[in-house]
Parts: sequence; structure tokens; C-alpha cells
Amino acid sequence: MPKIDPAAYRQRIDRMTEIFSDIAGRAEEVSKFRCPYRDRLDRCTGKFKCRNQVASPGENLTTCSHDGQFDYRSAWETKPESYGRAKARIKKIKRVSAEKRASLNAFPKKD
Amino acid sequence: MAELTDIVNETIRREIEEYIERPDEVERNVGLFARTRPLMQEISAALIEGDDGTVDRLTKRALDENIDALEIMDDGLIAGMGIVGIKFRDNFIYVPEVLACARAMKAGMTYIEPILSASGVKPLATVVMGTVKGDLHDIGKNLCIMMLRGSGFSVVDLGVDTSDDEFIDAVEEHKAPILGMSALLTTTMPNMGRTIEAFIDADLREDVKIMVGGAPVTQEFADDMGADAYGKDALDCVAVAKGFVSVQA
Repeated sequence: MPKIDPAAYRQRIDRMTEIFSDIAGRAEEVSKFRCPYRDRLDRCTGKFKCRNQVASPGENLTTCSHDGQFDYRSAWETKPESYGRAKARIKKIKRVSAEKRASLNAFPKKD
Repeated sequence: MAELTDIVNETIRREIEEYIERPDEVERNVGLFARTRPLMQEISAALIEGDDGTVDRLTKRALDENIDALEIMDDGLIAGMGIVGIKFRDNFIYVPEVLACARAMKAGMTYIEPILSASGVKPLATVVMGTVKGDLHDIGKNLCIMMLRGSGFSVVDLGVDTSDDEFIDAVEEHKAPILGMSALLTTTMPNMGRTIEAFIDADLREDVKIMVGGAPVTQEFADDMGADAYGKDALDCVAVAKGFVSVQA
């Protein structure tokens, strides 16, 4: 099998990183005014429900009806004000896990 | 000086004519493709169209014809991805199309990876990536995966709605030192914490560095959940992963 010079490969990786970095940076910008799941034909590629989805007869993908006049993200995120609840859930998950581990350590299984 | 008509592939000629507007970029791409062999142009054209099946088939054919792997990367895969980047920058295509092209690039790289391995070139590390249980959003994760692969990492993509067990099994199977979790909803974000606890329960927490990301995730949440790092975007994700690797080195 022919070999690849590691230094030469490293140059290619650097070029790919440059291309992909530009793409990722641009994606960050574009996503502020256009849903990232909306393709160039305005079809929705998301696998989840969104209130902007409109069924297109004979098409597998739905069409995006978003008009670009509002922040689309509220269409597919449930209640942005639920951060408090998320924080409480995280706290509870950690507490329950720690209690379970403490209980297992207190009463180890006999071999 | 090379001319557009020197490029044999009709798709590539059309891509340059219709989608590249800056004169310096036209000149660079005409010069590049005019000197590449027709098979490389076919690979580029298929990549630009997001046709991973054709990229797969043509890359294999190129290697079977003893074309150098670096030539395939330069003149087939990277050349095509360069045009994809220009089209995306200028709003001719959007994120879904870009990700399809990135998948096509991966299809080509799959044949080059064994050659890299035989040459002693190892990936920077293996990263397991997934969107957490109950969450079906994947664009952010997929952009991170594109960046990680493009930067030299090997990535195991678990997809969406990934359970604790699936994360644990993948990390163990692939001996991955890095796990990345994504969530797009405040209701699913706590499942990242649940997965981290599962790693503790499985006595694996010390063996893996865990990074988290996604629109609702913040540094504060990442700290609350016990993650090792938070990545605010795809670029950050790579920086975090590289940081983990350099620390382990």
C-alpha cells in the first residue's frame, strides 16, 4: 500500500480546517436569520415538529412557511423560560444519583 | 493562462460560471480544475452535488487506478469542498446542502483513512458525538462533527435521541477519550447530566472527557451538570477537543 507523508497530510488538514472554519462561522451568522434546517428549496429537513412546517403534496419533506420577520427559534424550542425548571431537574438528577451511590456503598453486594 | 473551456467536466464549468463571482476566485478555481485529471473533476462535481454514493465509487476507482491519495484529496475532495464553501458564503446553498457535501467528503475519506493508518498517521483522537435522549435536533452536532473530522479527529456519530447506555457502549467500544453531547431544548438538556451520572455509576467518568453544547446550554449549566467543558459553537468544539488531547498528551 502506498504511503502518505504525514507532513503533507498535515497541510491538507490545515486547508480543510480553513474551509470548514469559514463554513462554521458563516453557519453561525446565517442561522440568526434563516433556520438551519431550511434548505435552498425552502424545504424543512428537521426530523421534529415545528409550527412553520407546511405539508407539500407528493413530497417527503415539508415546506418552511417562516417569513423571516421573527426569531424562528421559538417555533421549535419549548418555552425558553423553562431554564429554571431545567436547572432544578439537573440538581435533582445529581442528588438522586449521589444518594443511590451512597446507599450502594453503605450496603455493598455480597460476593 | 487557463480558460474555463480547459475544464473538461461540464458540472464544474457550470459551478464556476454560475456561482463564483469574485474574479480572483474564478481565476484560482479555473486554474486549479484546468490542470486536474477528469476523474478528479468528477469526484469534485459529485461532492458539490452532495452525492456521497458517487464520491464513494469514484474515490475507490481512483485508488484502484493507483492515483495518489494526496492528489485525490487535493484535486477531488478539497477542491470540491472549496466551491461548496464559496456557494454557502454567497447564499446559493444553505446548511442542509453543506452537510450533504460534508457527508460526501467523508465517503471519499473513508478510503483514504486506511492509507493514513498504514503511513503511521493517526487521528488526533476518537470523539463520540450524539444528541441526548428525547431530542431530535442534529444540525449543531453535525456541524461540530464536520469540523472535528476536518481537523483530523475520528468521530463516531450516534445520531439523535441517544440513551445513556448508547453513549457508554460507544465510548467503551471505540475507547474514545472524548464524548460530546448536544441538546437543543431546555427540556432535554438535563439528560446530559443524567448521562454524566451514568458514566460515574459505570466507573468510567475518569476515562473520558465530556464536552456539551447546544443553543440552551451555557457554561453555568455545563458546570452544574459536571461536564468538563462547554463549546458555544462548532469552532469552539474543535478548540475544546484539541485542548483535551493536548492535556492528555
